[in-house]
Amino acid sequence: MRFSKGAPWQRALLTWGGAAALGFALPAASDDAPAVGLPFEEQVQVCGACHGSDGNSRLPGTPSLAGQPQLTIVNQMIYFRERLRQNEVMTPQARGLPDAEIQALAAYYHEQPVAAPEGDPDTELKARGQELASQQRCASCHLANYHGREQMPRLAGQREDYLVAAMVGYRDRTRGGPDTTMIDIMRGVSDEDIKAMAHFMTHIEE
Amino acid sequence: MTLPRLMPLTVAISTVGLLLSSAMTNALADDHEPAWAQGRSSDMANSPLAPHATPLTVTAVEDIPLDHLRMPDGFSAEIWAHGMPGARMMARGDNGTLFLGTRGIGRVYAVLDNDDGEEREHVIIVDGLTQPNGVAFKDGSLYVAAINRIFRYDDIESHLANGDDIPEPEELTDAFGLPDDGHHGWKFLAFGPDGRLYVPVGAPCNGCEVDEDTHATIHSFEPDGSDMRVEARGVRNSVGFDFHPETDELWFTDNGQDWLGEHGPQDELNRLSETGEHFGFPYCHSHGVIDPDLGSEGACDGITMPAALMGGHAAALGMRFYTGDMFPEEYQNAIFIARRGSWNRTLSVGYDVQVAHLSEDGERAAISPFMVGLLDPRENDFSGRPVDVLQMPDGALLVADEQNGAIYRISYETPDYSEE
Repeated sequence: MRFSKGAPWQRALLTWGGAAALGFALPAASDDAPAVGLPFEEQVQVCGACHGSDGNSRLPGTPSLAGQPQLTIVNQMIYFRERLRQNEVMTPQARGLPDAEIQALAAYYHEQPVAAPEGDPDTELKARGQELASQQRCASCHLANYHGREQMPRLAGQREDYLVAAMVGYRDRTRGGPDTTMIDIMRGVSDEDIKAMAHFMTHIEE
Repeated sequence: MTLPRLMPLTVAISTVGLLLSSAMTNALADDHEPAWAQGRSSDMANSPLAPHATPLTVTAVEDIPLDHLRMPDGFSAEIWAHGMPGARMMARGDNGTLFLGTRGIGRVYAVLDNDDGEEREHVIIVDGLTQPNGVAFKDGSLYVAAINRIFRYDDIESHLANGDDIPEPEELTDAFGLPDDGHHGWKFLAFGPDGRLYVPVGAPCNGCEVDEDTHATIHSFEPDGSDMRVEARGVRNSVGFDFHPETDELWFTDNGQDWLGEHGPQDELNRLSETGEHFGFPYCHSHGVIDPDLGSEGACDGITMPAALMGGHAAALGMRFYTGDMFPEEYQNAIFIARRGSWNRTLSVGYDVQVAHLSEDGERAAISPFMVGLLDPRENDFSGRPVDVLQMPDGALLVADEQNGAIYRISYETPDYSEE
């Protein structure tokens, strides 16, 4: 590193922009996320404390990562890391994580099987949610099986409470991030409709 | 590297959903379209056409598609800098620093001028901004335009050379007083030969009525943000312009409307001959195509027609006149134009650099391919997205590839055909 004796800003910036991306191991700065610099297995434990060791979350409000498209996880982690998406929990957890480590974690969670949802479906609510999701054309991005693709997340089998919170967050514009597609889509959708759609998506049968 | 392009998807809608959607959803759905889907007709509602996501991660140097690039004989390309996800618009400092704007990743990069045989280093001058696409350099200062803010970094190159902390920039947001719409709100920046800073303000929609003094315009300002002037009107979304080296006229690209058809309306290369000229949006597109919703008979009367057509949905963006000594005579005062490539058509076009040669009277131009190969027409796939071009002091041409976060350098040597 030519700048290793340079000013702190140079070390920090080069860590992200250059060396980190190439896989160099550099000492973590003090405000880096706890997972920075850990071996992969330990990073998975850090994430798994909330998201579940197999990527299936059992923690209310915390999304499952299992089966998500790789790019979905990568992009959101980079939005957190770059402070483009603010979240009390995740913005600090992503701080300073190099591209390559984010990509490895995303590849791992993409491969994990999606567990069956908690609880049984309410047939009527589910049917209503399915109708609403069809009206909203969710499938045109998230696919007809709601498995997601590229930067667009998998919805099938996701935690119901998380889906509700995410949709409410978009509607109320409390969930930021550079992609405003979901803010436009969720404008003015009622709590009741959100609950029905979340119930449907959680209980989509494979 | 070949990226998987969107495949035609058979969207299986359940019977229940289909019945309902035909009966009662159009009003609801129209209110809930994302910005890029505005204007999509109901028979295209399940089309998989959507903007391609830009990678936010570093492309490994061995995956940069340098060997895909094809130019006319005598030209060759090399990787000049890499490792800068989302690199878009370029501006060069007086001391040789290359500044790069981005969109989604929110950073501005500076590639340091350390051509000493080692790989060029870059630093991130600022991050966390909302689509800081526009960069321009004048009198030692770097100007950065994000969607909602404008900054000036004074003496930026001396701070970089000394390895100092980059001081807090001067914020000029209020002085410029520009709108902050997310849709088409990302800015291109360039100084004119008159010393004024030129800033486009795109239409806040795919197609809609706009206030002709505030949107679908190119404005110019004194560098401090004072003395605003509307230079051009009816410009849907320009993300690149330059000034004719002899006449000083403003030439600019403009992106045509989406969802009006597979083949058009075509993107435009325009010439501004008079301050305040109207280029047609939202009533008259391309070479005189009347808008099916907002236009009426005579909508193209008094509208300035393009100097050249740039292809339907091709995303003609950054462009610069060539005045260097390196390339053959036929490139003098020609314009290099980066086309980022299409999403709003099933058969892709663009993903290249075109060259525009001006007519003798200087009012029209003819376009021709210059750097191709990133689009694979047989697979309808792409491997890179040129967004901007920049002439270097030695006459070489830099090309920014947003998809791969790389800058290519194109140089020329007279081909020796006898060798082969």
